[in-house]
Amino acid sequence: MAARGHVQDPNDRRLRPIYDYLDNGNNKMAIQQADKLLKKHKDLHCAKVLKAIGLQRTGKQDEAFSLAQEVATLEPTDDNSLQALTILYREMHRPELVTKLYEAAVKKVPLSEEYHSHLFMAYARVGEYKKMQQAGMALYKTVPKNPYYFWSVMSLVMQAISAQDEKLAQTMFLPLAERMVEKMVKEEKIEAEAEVQLYFMILERLGKYVEALDMVRGPLGEKLTSELQSRENKCMMMYQRLQLWPECNALSYKLLLKNCVEGPVHTTVAEAVKFVVDRMEEEDKKDSRPLRGPYMACLELIHRLRQRGCPDEEELGDPLELMLQFFGKFGDKPCCITDLKIYLHLLPPEQHTQFENRLGELVPLGEVGEDGFGFPGDTKALQRHLCVCQLSRVLGLQHTLDTEGKLCLITELKAHYHYGLQFGKSCLKTELQFSDTYCLMVAHVYIDLWTETGDENMLWQCLGVLEEGLSYSPSNAQFKLLLLLLFCRLGAFQPVVDLYSSLDAKHVQHDTIGYLLTRYAGSLGQFAAASQSYNFSLRFFHSNQKDTSEYIIQAYKYGAFEKIPEFIAFRTRLNQSLHFAQVRTERMLLDLYTEADITSSLEESVKAMGLCPEEDDIPWDNMRDNRDLTVLFSWDPKDRELTEEHRRLSLEEESVWLKVRSLTLRLLASLALLGHAPSKRNSDKTNENGVSAKSSTLQTLLSQLDLTLQTAAQITEKQTQYPFLGPPSSRLASALSSGSCHCQASALQLSLTLQELETTGLDDSSELQTQICNSFKSLIVQLQELLSRCKGDVLEMKDSRLMTQPSLLETLVFFVETVCVVLWVASYSASVLRPLKSSLQKKKKKKTKDSSTAMPVVLSGFQEWTGSLQGIVTQALDHVKGQEASLTALKLAALTLGVGHAQTQEECGFTRAAMDKVQTSYLGSLQELGDLLRKRADSLKSLKF
Amino acid sequence: MTTLRAFTFNFDICYNNYGIPFYLQYLAHWPEYFIVAEAPGGELMGYIMGKAEGSVAREEWHGHVTALSVAPEFRRLGLAAKLMEMLEEISERKGGFFVDLFVRVSNQVAVNMYKQLGYSVYRTVIEYYSASNGEPDEDAYDMRKALSRDTERKSIIPIPHPVRPEDIE
Repeated sequence: MAARGHVQDPNDRRLRPIYDYLDNGNNKMAIQQADKLLKKHKDLHCAKVLKAIGLQRTGKQDEAFSLAQEVATLEPTDDNSLQALTILYREMHRPELVTKLYEAAVKKVPLSEEYHSHLFMAYARVGEYKKMQQAGMALYKTVPKNPYYFWSVMSLVMQAISAQDEKLAQTMFLPLAERMVEKMVKEEKIEAEAEVQLYFMILERLGKYVEALDMVRGPLGEKLTSELQSRENKCMMMYQRLQLWPECNALSYKLLLKNCVEGPVHTTVAEAVKFVVDRMEEEDKKDSRPLRGPYMACLELIHRLRQRGCPDEEELGDPLELMLQFFGKFGDKPCCITDLKIYLHLLPPEQHTQFENRLGELVPLGEVGEDGFGFPGDTKALQRHLCVCQLSRVLGLQHTLDTEGKLCLITELKAHYHYGLQFGKSCLKTELQFSDTYCLMVAHVYIDLWTETGDENMLWQCLGVLEEGLSYSPSNAQFKLLLLLLFCRLGAFQPVVDLYSSLDAKHVQHDTIGYLLTRYAGSLGQFAAASQSYNFSLRFFHSNQKDTSEYIIQAYKYGAFEKIPEFIAFRTRLNQSLHFAQVRTERMLLDLYTEADITSSLEESVKAMGLCPEEDDIPWDNMRDNRDLTVLFSWDPKDRELTEEHRRLSLEEESVWLKVRSLTLRLLASLALLGHAPSKRNSDKTNENGVSAKSSTLQTLLSQLDLTLQTAAQITEKQTQYPFLGPPSSRLASALSSGSCHCQASALQLSLTLQELETTGLDDSSELQTQICNSFKSLIVQLQELLSRCKGDVLEMKDSRLMTQPSLLETLVFFVETVCVVLWVASYSASVLRPLKSSLQKKKKKKTKDSSTAMPVVLSGFQEWTGSLQGIVTQALDHVKGQEASLTALKLAALTLGVGHAQTQEECGFTRAAMDKVQTSYLGSLQELGDLLRKRADSLKSLKF
Repeated sequence: MTTLRAFTFNFDICYNNYGIPFYLQYLAHWPEYFIVAEAPGGELMGYIMGKAEGSVAREEWHGHVTALSVAPEFRRLGLAAKLMEMLEEISERKGGFFVDLFVRVSNQVAVNMYKQLGYSVYRTVIEYYSASNGEPDEDAYDMRKALSRDTERKSIIPIPHPVRPEDIE
């Protein structure tokens, strides 16, 4: 808001102090100053808007809004008011109101280029493409400048892109856009490169490749100069679409020799083979730095020829020799493994060991020492050795070793790791150690051993070695990621918080790797940390919406038309993110669990969140899985890698779990609103309708939940196992097996029956009452079972071994969540039963001492129920207390570590530190769970009559 | 084997140092100056991002390297040099007089690399990089390389006195 031109206007001078206060964040003074000014100058509208901005920024949204609307209805045409209102509406996240503002302004000042242009941009912010098209045209008619005309054309293209009906795009929007451009071409009015690019976009989308090619090769194409090889790349694209292979070939040949581009397209296999062989020979003769391209091209060609079943591959040579040659030339580069990894399938399995041995011959290692290992003399030799180790793992040669073999491998890799540290003594903290990868590989072998044998010691040592690695290489993200994953699997969330924050995840990473955090935070009972991690992600998603809109507008201004669909696709991708929907839902559920009926009532909480049970804002059909599921390095062989099927199953599982959670949330919202409407017991018609609408929402949601739980059961039956470094399993399976989902569903179902009782009354409802009482009893049984599944030691020492049972913690969280749900239903029950009871007492009084009538079943049943609930919560609290006590009593120092595992003193220290972290974290989780249970137990007291 | 392609705004930006708005701003304004290098397996090897700015009349119209980044495992392959060459060519076409960039004084590896690519220190900018966590702010070298339009190579005659960030354009 800083820059404002002409100071001559006396109003500007008067408003200046308010602007300054707002700019400095002194909102209160801004409001005062505005009030002062308004006393003298009642019709200084802008002052009102500025005051509204101050109000908005001090949390008085409603006041701000009504003040703004006072000015807006006057349809202001002064710059100050318009700009201030634009800022205000943007801060209110109501960009659609800006369009109204400028619609009115251009009506009053139809010749203003500025207002027309603002109107176009306002439409752009909300994505009203049709109106943008019109606004662009109106603007061009007011001021015939080319960019305005093409804004309008681009808006047509956007209508085509966003059209649900592809036919409409192909027969209406795009042809119209094409005609609009052709008109300008005919009149020789094309000026800018952007206009030609837009023309190309249109032709391409219309499938008019010949026309597009002619255009690019013709005089208009001469304007395509900014981007390197813009014309050539566009030609190439069209040649490929038109399958004009000779032209394509000639052009790629030209480009390839000038620059590196993707593999050339050749007309005959023989030609292709010759071309590649020639390039390799040329490269061999060169004195300068050799390029990887020709050698990789050779492997790529073999790969493609095999795919097609062509016999010519022999002329290119034996893949084994070619790869050895490649390793000889580039083995000391860190990318060698990445390069060769994708061609390993060219080797038959029986060659694998031979390959490994031959590679080994190409690694210069020093003399074998006492420990039986020879070490590299410099970083280049180290890199080569490391590359062989990685290749051997990718080939599966490490996986086939038996336990003893794996332990030996660990010893060898560790020795190399420690030896290699000397090369990185001068490394900065921000740099990685040359030998870090050895350490990571050690960890992977430990994980193999742990998963194969179930020996938890392997896991503890793995944690130790990673912690050690991190101490030498504090910036190694892979160490942190793997530690993070392992701690999560162990159910210890506390260390994860620091690890994640030290990863310094930014922006899009909150979407791509945020799942590592949010999957576990809540489910392990670390509610405060969970809330924080949801916030990280949510903040990113919310700012994305606003940010992207601004730059879409910039792209129009600078004519970067090709970028506009990209920006929009990006925004959509984030808005439809699975993770976004998950954190949105989990955040609200968490708030309810930790606050509702503690700091405020369920109803108040639901209202504060703006939760509406009828609304479902999750894009179920277009959900985007943006998780980066390969963020952790893996050298696993192909058959152990993450597959597309894994990805599909994981998304399916997560989606169903999200559905369960979101339905639970909406059900809780409708439960809260059932309790609402205090006048409903007066049973006047309108209210009855209201109530029945609410209960029918509840009914609908319940049957949806029921269906979802059936699907969920089918999914968990599959028992999908993902690769260890792949996606974590969702909470679905453990939620189902714990019984918490069904218990919550039956509790919510009960609220519906209670609602029925409310309308029927106590007199003629003995069946209903029995039904309710049975539900009371059944809920107790279910809760009791759920609690029994939580029993056991989450951490224990047995024969000097440390054993964990993190699943107990996860089940305990489900128990606590379920108790919360049941208690909300209980308090709803109380709200239904209390008035029934008091009207009964009134009747009794009237009947004067005819006291023989027994208490209705439902009332005694309820009292019994609350008593049992109290009992269960007390039991649970005792269990938590017991676990806390035994955890605290556990003296990890008493563990003897390192025996028989060749762990050094130092390594044992790191392992011990990791164990401590786990112990502390468990304690933390138990404390938070205990606290929440205690707080919720308090609300039980208020339920007694 | 490397594919050099225009930066398409999707999840290419996954691993980066800047906020999304920063990238969007450059893509909206100077899309041609944004190039990524991709490995055959689809891994992102590195990227360069720049812009054109300055007054033509004062012979200050030039290409600027905003960011150049190569993933650790793809270093020492000559990728940075290739990306720089492309940025220079784009700047040549736009009729720039020179290309410039800022680099931390302490980043000796980078300074040497740029020297090898024909850049020289034009001036030192005092406390250009603001540091976090209490460490002192760091100076930058403003390095330049003349393009063919600057036939007399006037643009790269070093300024002996260091300047402050607020004094540069």
